[in-house]
Amino acid sequence: MDNVSLLSLSYQIAAYRSMDVIANNIANVSTPGYKRESVKFEEVLQQVKPTEDQKGQQSLSFVKDAGVLRDLSGGRLETTGSTFDLAINGDGYFVVQTPGGERYTRNGHFTLNADGIIVTGSGDPLLGDGGPITIAPDDGDISFGVDGTISGKQGQLGKVRLVDFANPRDLAKEGDSLYSTTQTANPAEHAVLAQGMLESSNVQPVIEIARMIEVMRAYEATSSLEKASADMKRQAIQKLGTVQ
Amino acid sequence: MRALSIAATGMLAQQTNVEVIANNLANMNTTGYKAQRAAFQDLLYQNIQQAGAQSSDTGTLLPSGIQLGAGVRTAAVYRITKTGDLESTSNPYDVAINGAGYFRIQLPDGTDGYTRDGNFSLSPEGQLVTQQGYVVQPGIAIPSTATAVTINTQGQVVVTLPSQTATQTVGQLELTRFPNEAGLKALGDNLYAETESSGGPQAGVPGSTGYGTIQQYFLETSNVDAVNEITSLITAQRAYEMNSKVITAANEMLQQTAQLGS
Repeated sequence: MDNVSLLSLSYQIAAYRSMDVIANNIANVSTPGYKRESVKFEEVLQQVKPTEDQKGQQSLSFVKDAGVLRDLSGGRLETTGSTFDLAINGDGYFVVQTPGGERYTRNGHFTLNADGIIVTGSGDPLLGDGGPITIAPDDGDISFGVDGTISGKQGQLGKVRLVDFANPRDLAKEGDSLYSTTQTANPAEHAVLAQGMLESSNVQPVIEIARMIEVMRAYEATSSLEKASADMKRQAIQKLGTVQ
Repeated sequence: MRALSIAATGMLAQQTNVEVIANNLANMNTTGYKAQRAAFQDLLYQNIQQAGAQSSDTGTLLPSGIQLGAGVRTAAVYRITKTGDLESTSNPYDVAINGAGYFRIQLPDGTDGYTRDGNFSLSPEGQLVTQQGYVVQPGIAIPSTATAVTINTQGQVVVTLPSQTATQTVGQLELTRFPNEAGLKALGDNLYAETESSGGPQAGVPGSTGYGTIQQYFLETSNVDAVNEITSLITAQRAYEMNSKVITAANEMLQQTAQLGS
């Protein structure tokens, strides 16, 4: 294969990956606490020997995906009116006890299980300062304070643990709206809890659709480039191959 | 091309969302109906490049990795258990629960069902029954000669009989609550059944700690907020449309690839 094909191929692979990330953003437009992602590309240079009539260094630049960056800005807070729907306003994560250890999430849709323990949609308990939080039916209407303090009819019942990290972009996604990390979790200092609300995803449809069109058109341009190069080759073979 | 299947999961999720909203709107005037909401979660991620991996032997680290998602799934459809508004009526057997709890109803198969729809009537035998004719538990019979029926906030059913000055208590309504009422299974006909996740039923007297009080001549309206539902419907519809646009775009890209060799 010649360089034109290889260069356009490197972009086409990158474009496919961009498209996958955009599709995932749009699919999760209604997932509470979802953070939009974007692919960052980098240039991979390859030095090539200059031909006789060219001067100086010549290089080819291929494109490669360097990383997927998460936009950590907060989503809109949407009122649901459900007692155990919690939203974090500011930086911070809920701590969830899963079979695989502690996990972190910003999806604040919780319910009670049959034992009265506050759990996520997947049934994993939400952790308070002293482990899982149990609500008894006698506690009546439960209210969550801005700092996570839980109180019922019979006084304080515990406090939701809110944590933050030195490098929150480093958290790995696990699916089910959960993140995992090896970093130490510090108590969140800039988190304000809102009850009866969910943080909607911070995907902005306009940006995603615009980005999608951009990727699509760039892909189209690369395809035509490749086609043009193939045409050139075909013509060269035809013309040069004709016996005069 | 992953984008196609990712967008398909997005369309499926939004379809569920629209179905849930449609059901809420259809039940806007159903007594005791609780609005539902679809809850979404992102699907698993494929690790292409680990964040925090060493990018050189001097210990420099990659600041971010590459994780590609696989779309979205509907994790649950849950009920908002907020009490609806109480609406006054003129039927003495219309009772609303102000606070927590459910009425226990005996179903035809002998098991118990639970409801917050207090729109009751009398059976030919004078028993307090639901609109389907199922008996409200514990069974309360109203004498056919009764001239007035009063149900107080503690759920005591008191009747006045002709040519008697003293009133007579004929029964006591009971309320049942659950550790997790969002875990109840909806049976239709405004009835719910106990499940593993709801926990066991706990019966009590209306007005005692943790139980609501009874309001005669009132019905609990559904807690569906029409404005909220309509805005959610518009959002869901637009999200569906956007996912279909992704499919179109991905399709176009694939088409170009297919045409490359021609």
